[in-house]
Amino acid sequence: MWKIALGFGLFAVLAVFMLMSGGDIDMGGEKHGADAVHAPAAANAASGPTR
Amino acid sequence: MATAMATAAKPMTAEEKKVIFASSLGTVFEWYDFYLYGSLAGIIAKQFFSGLDPNSAFIFALLAFAAGFIVRPFGALVFGRLGDMIGRKYTFLVTILIMGLATFIVGVLPTYASIGVAAPVILIGLRLLQGLALGGEYGGAATYVAEHSPQNKRGAYTSWIQTTATLGLFLSLMVILGTRTWIGEAAFADWGWRVPFLVSIFLLAISVWIRLSMNESPAFKKMKEEGKTSKAPLTESFGRWKNLKIVILALIGLTAGQAVVWYTGQFYALFFLQQTLKIDGGTANILVAISLLIGTPFFIVFGTLSDKIGRKPIIMAGCLVAALTYFPLFNALTEAGNPDLAKALAASPVKVHADPKECSFQFNPTGTVKFTSSCDIAKQVLAASSVNYENVTTTGVAKIMIGDKVIESYSSKGLPADEAKKKDAEFKKAVGTAIKEAGYPAKADPAKINKLLVVAILTLLVIYVTMVYGPIAAMLVELFPTRIRYTSMSLPYHIGNGWFGGLLPTTAFAIVAQTGNIYNGLWYPIIIAGATFVIGMLFVKETKHVDIYAKD
Repeated sequence: MWKIALGFGLFAVLAVFMLMSGGDIDMGGEKHGADAVHAPAAANAASGPTR
Repeated sequence: MATAMATAAKPMTAEEKKVIFASSLGTVFEWYDFYLYGSLAGIIAKQFFSGLDPNSAFIFALLAFAAGFIVRPFGALVFGRLGDMIGRKYTFLVTILIMGLATFIVGVLPTYASIGVAAPVILIGLRLLQGLALGGEYGGAATYVAEHSPQNKRGAYTSWIQTTATLGLFLSLMVILGTRTWIGEAAFADWGWRVPFLVSIFLLAISVWIRLSMNESPAFKKMKEEGKTSKAPLTESFGRWKNLKIVILALIGLTAGQAVVWYTGQFYALFFLQQTLKIDGGTANILVAISLLIGTPFFIVFGTLSDKIGRKPIIMAGCLVAALTYFPLFNALTEAGNPDLAKALAASPVKVHADPKECSFQFNPTGTVKFTSSCDIAKQVLAASSVNYENVTTTGVAKIMIGDKVIESYSSKGLPADEAKKKDAEFKKAVGTAIKEAGYPAKADPAKINKLLVVAILTLLVIYVTMVYGPIAAMLVELFPTRIRYTSMSLPYHIGNGWFGGLLPTTAFAIVAQTGNIYNGLWYPIIIAGATFVIGMLFVKETKHVDIYAKD
C-alpha cells in the first residue's frame, strides 16, 4: 500500500507542478462544445465553466 | 467461488490485485478519453462548429449536449444487457475498444475547413459513441471487481474504481499541458490538439492487452456453466416490479444524491470560484486541482470503512452533511476567495423592478436559448456579475436600482443584430459602472484571496464527494442478483450521474438568475441530496453483509 501512496504522492506533485506552469487549464471536464459556440451571458471567462 | 467466500483478514492475492488494477486502469483511460473532449471543448468548437450557420450550429449544440451525457443511460442499457448475457470480460473489452477507437478517430478527423459539414456530423457521432461506451464501462468495472472480492472487502476493493474519474480528469489535463508545453501554444491550437486524442490508441492497446488476459468473473462463469444466465436482462431488470422498485430506489435513494454532491464538489465549486467569485481561471483551477488531489485517497478510506461500519451510514451521512453545510461553506468560500465581494453583497442591496410576466426561468443546458425580455437581460447581467438582488414587482420595462441609481433595461426581441450588440454593450457598461461604484469588484483581488482557506473548504467539499461515492459501487452491486447485476446497477448510476448531476450547473445558474441570490443555486443539490437522505434512510437497506450470490 505504501508504494501506491508514494506513487500517488509523486503523481500529485507532478500534476500540481504541471498545472501551475501550464497556463490556461480547465478542470471543468464535462463541457460539450456548446458553451464555446453559444456562450451563455454568464460564461465570459477565458477558461469557461461547465455548461 | 472459494476465493469470493473468504473471510478473515487475508492479504490481497496476486489475482485480486490484477483484477483491481486492470479494471481501474481501463476505467481511468475511459475517463481520460471522455474528459479530453470537455477539456478541449473550446478548440473543438473552433475547429468543427464555428463554420456552421446559426441554425445548424444550434442543432449541433443540442446534439453535442445529448451525446455527452443524455446518452449515457442508453449505453448502460445496451452494455449492461450484453454484460449480463455474454459476460463481463468481453463486454468491457468492447466498451474500451469503442471508446478508444472513437477517441483516436477524433484525433485524425479532418476539420470543418477541410470536409465541411461532414466534420461536425462525424464528430457528434464519435461523441455519441463515447457517451454510450462510458455508459457501459462503469457498471462493468464495478461488477467485475466486486465479483472477485472477498465478502468483507467489497467496499475496499471497489473503491479503487471510484478514484478513476478524478484520475482520468488529471491524466487528460496533464497530457494536454504536456503537449502544449512541448510544441507551443500556436501549434497546439492548429494541430497539436489532436495529439492527446491520438495518444489514446496507446492507452487502448494497453487496456485491451490487460483485459484480454483476465478471466471472466467466477460468479458469471458459474452461472453460465449452469445455464442460469438471463436471456432477457432488460425485461428482468425493469419489467418486473420486484427488481424495478430496487432500481428506482437505487436512483432516488442513492445515486441522485451522490451525483449532485459529486457535481457540487467536483465541478460547481470551480464554476463558483471563477464565475461568481471572479477568481482568475488559472488560480481557480489550481485550487480545485489541489483539493481534488488531497481528497482522492479518501475514496479508498470511505470504501474500506464501509466494509466495517456499513455503506448506508457513510453515504447517507455524506448527503445529509452536504445538504446542511453547503450554504455556510459557500458563504465562507466567498469570504475567503473574494472578501470585497462579500462586503459589497452585505452593504449594497440591488433591486430589480420588473413585470413578473416578463421574467423567465433561464434554464439553458445547451447554451443556445436566448432570453430577450428586459427582465431576463437585467437579471442575466446582474447574475453574471455576482450581484445579489431583490425582485420587486412592477409593470413596464425592467429597471435595476442600485441604491438611488436607476438603470433601465431593454428588450432585445426583434432587434437587428448590430443594434442588439450595441445596446448590450451600453447596458453592460452602465450596470458595470454602477455596481463598481457600489463596491462590487470586477475581479477577485489576488492579494486578498486566502488560498489556504479556500483549499480547505474545497477539500471538505471533495471529502463529501468521497463519502457518497466511495462505497457506492459496492452498494449498487449488492442490491442486485448476478444474472441482471450489470444491467440493473448501470442504469440508476448513469441516470443519477448523467442527468441529475449533469444538469446541476445549468439548473443552478437558472435558479440564481431567477431569485437574485448567488447562493440559491445550491438549493438544487441541497434538495436532491436531502431527498435522497430521507428516501435512502427510510427505504434503502444496508447491503454490506449481503451474499451477492445468494439469489443466483
